Amino acid sequence: MNEIIDLNPVVLIAVPLALAFLVPLLELVSKKIVKWIPVIGFLFNSVIALSLLPKVLKETIIVKIGGFSPPFCINLVVGPVGILLSVLISVTGFLVAIYALKYIKEGAQQKYHILYMLLLTGATGVVLTGDIFNLFVFFEILCISSYALVAYLGNKAGIESSVKYLIQGSIGSSFLLIGIGLLYGQFGTLNMADIANQIETVSSISLYVPMIFMITGLGIEAAIFPLNAWLPDAHSSAPSSISAVLSGIAIEVGLYAVIRVLFTIFGVSDFLMFFLFLGVLTLLIGEMCAFSQENIKRMLAYSSIGQIGLIVFAFSLASSHGVSGGLFQMINHTLSKALLFLASGFMIYKTGSMKISSFEGIGRKMPLTCLLFTIGTFSLVGLPPFVGFASKFMIIRAALAQGQTLYTILIGLVLLGTVIEGAYFFRIIQRMYFKNNSEVHQKEESPVAGLIPMIIFASLIIFIGLYPEFVTKILDPAASELINKIDYIRSVLG
Amino acid sequence: MINFLQNNIFYISAFGLILIGLFIMLSKRNLIKVIIGLSILETGVNLFIVTLGFLSKGTAPIFSKSGLDMQKMVDPVPQALVLTAIVIGLAVLALALSLAIRLYNHFGTLNLQKIKEQKW
Repeated sequence: MNEIIDLNPVVLIAVPLALAFLVPLLELVSKKIVKWIPVIGFLFNSVIALSLLPKVLKETIIVKIGGFSPPFCINLVVGPVGILLSVLISVTGFLVAIYALKYIKEGAQQKYHILYMLLLTGATGVVLTGDIFNLFVFFEILCISSYALVAYLGNKAGIESSVKYLIQGSIGSSFLLIGIGLLYGQFGTLNMADIANQIETVSSISLYVPMIFMITGLGIEAAIFPLNAWLPDAHSSAPSSISAVLSGIAIEVGLYAVIRVLFTIFGVSDFLMFFLFLGVLTLLIGEMCAFSQENIKRMLAYSSIGQIGLIVFAFSLASSHGVSGGLFQMINHTLSKALLFLASGFMIYKTGSMKISSFEGIGRKMPLTCLLFTIGTFSLVGLPPFVGFASKFMIIRAALAQGQTLYTILIGLVLLGTVIEGAYFFRIIQRMYFKNNSEVHQKEESPVAGLIPMIIFASLIIFIGLYPEFVTKILDPAASELINKIDYIRSVLG
Repeated sequence: MINFLQNNIFYISAFGLILIGLFIMLSKRNLIKVIIGLSILETGVNLFIVTLGFLSKGTAPIFSKSGLDMQKMVDPVPQALVLTAIVIGLAVLALALSLAIRLYNHFGTLNLQKIKEQKW
């Protein structure tokens, strides 16, 4: 397999971008073929990313665009972190595109598919790039596509949420650009490895200002505590397939960008202590707000905030196990949250309302969908045979290995958050299965094109949960790429 | 003090524009004014980045005839960054204005304090 497909990793970004621009031309030919283009594009992406995976684990691939050599060119750094997140993005994009075949039936459908492919192109670009201005450009592609997709349904809730998201997101982008400008003025180069190399030559006081600007700017998309006011509205007003991609991919890619800037460019420092508290605070606030929600998509959106807090906590531990646990929790959150949003999409469609109280007894009406929803729930909370258990266990073990009482107290708060999470999820499951309303139920299952991606997500969750060795083989080199920035610098600059 | 002002006047004005833009975005209630504030903020950021490459008495960074001294040219990299950033700002502005039109069609008002359907 490695020798048959030997392509340059730049096709991971170029092919979805080209297909996105091809869609208006194909729309003239036939309107029905357009919804298959994202499916084909992301199937191709997943195959290429999976075939690059064994090669990248042996040696990081550096793609020099334009033939110059770093630090004078824009380069792509396809390391273990990059390829892991690319595989996750491509596989999730492929499965949600299959779901959208039957879910997106009204409105300007061609524009949905164009924007969807641009969103995932931007996400893949952020993950694979090695240059901070290129990061900004792909980050903007991701953000602008998501502003437009949140407003896709065109109803009151969607437009209001999209306006709020746009205003906050563009303040974030401007802050990111100020931070990039300050870094360029200080160091004279835009290459991440080159800046990381020269970072010790400057006193650390003058580095705080660009760092704060960049982390605030990227943190708005990553939904860290004070900056996440847009998230509940945006994720609950978007169509369900877009909520799945926003919660599962967009905020995680934003968090990856924060981590890349913090670990690789600025180096591990004592700023991480502040991040630790911020993560626990985000977790508790997210879970507590989710507990009191009635609208299911809003509840899942607050749960996303909580999970991002947990991932921030895991990354701030700055040990190899902590960072591996954080990356594993990213995988868990993407798979589970996408499954939950996809399942609730059809449940909302069949019952016609987003309130949890209207889901009573739906377990008998749509048994397979509710079973898949339950699997997603159990995995997110962290019950044993699923992925969530392995990832949360890794995080808790990494935190306890630090040994001080502070970490033990923080672990206690994290577990309290998990208990609250379990409470509100099990409340839904109880309502779905164990409450009866007295009407006669005939089984009205979701369409097959909707069920296939959910089944594949659930089987991935169960498979990785039972055999986590497949993923930990990639997580260890990925964690060491983030923590030991010397290897990163050496592989780029030579 | 006057010397500092004189030497760094471009930086001070760029940051002034950034702060004005932020103030407008944070304190005005009408959505169109907020969008104007966004535009001013982005203009300020672009000016800041161009100023990073500025040399007083520098020339344009183009080798138009032989014998031009590279040390006296203004830095071209920030100018490339700003070209990209201007286009991105244009796209965001267009999207924001079209969303403002749809918002007005739905709610009948552009007063952000009256548009509060999404609550806790």
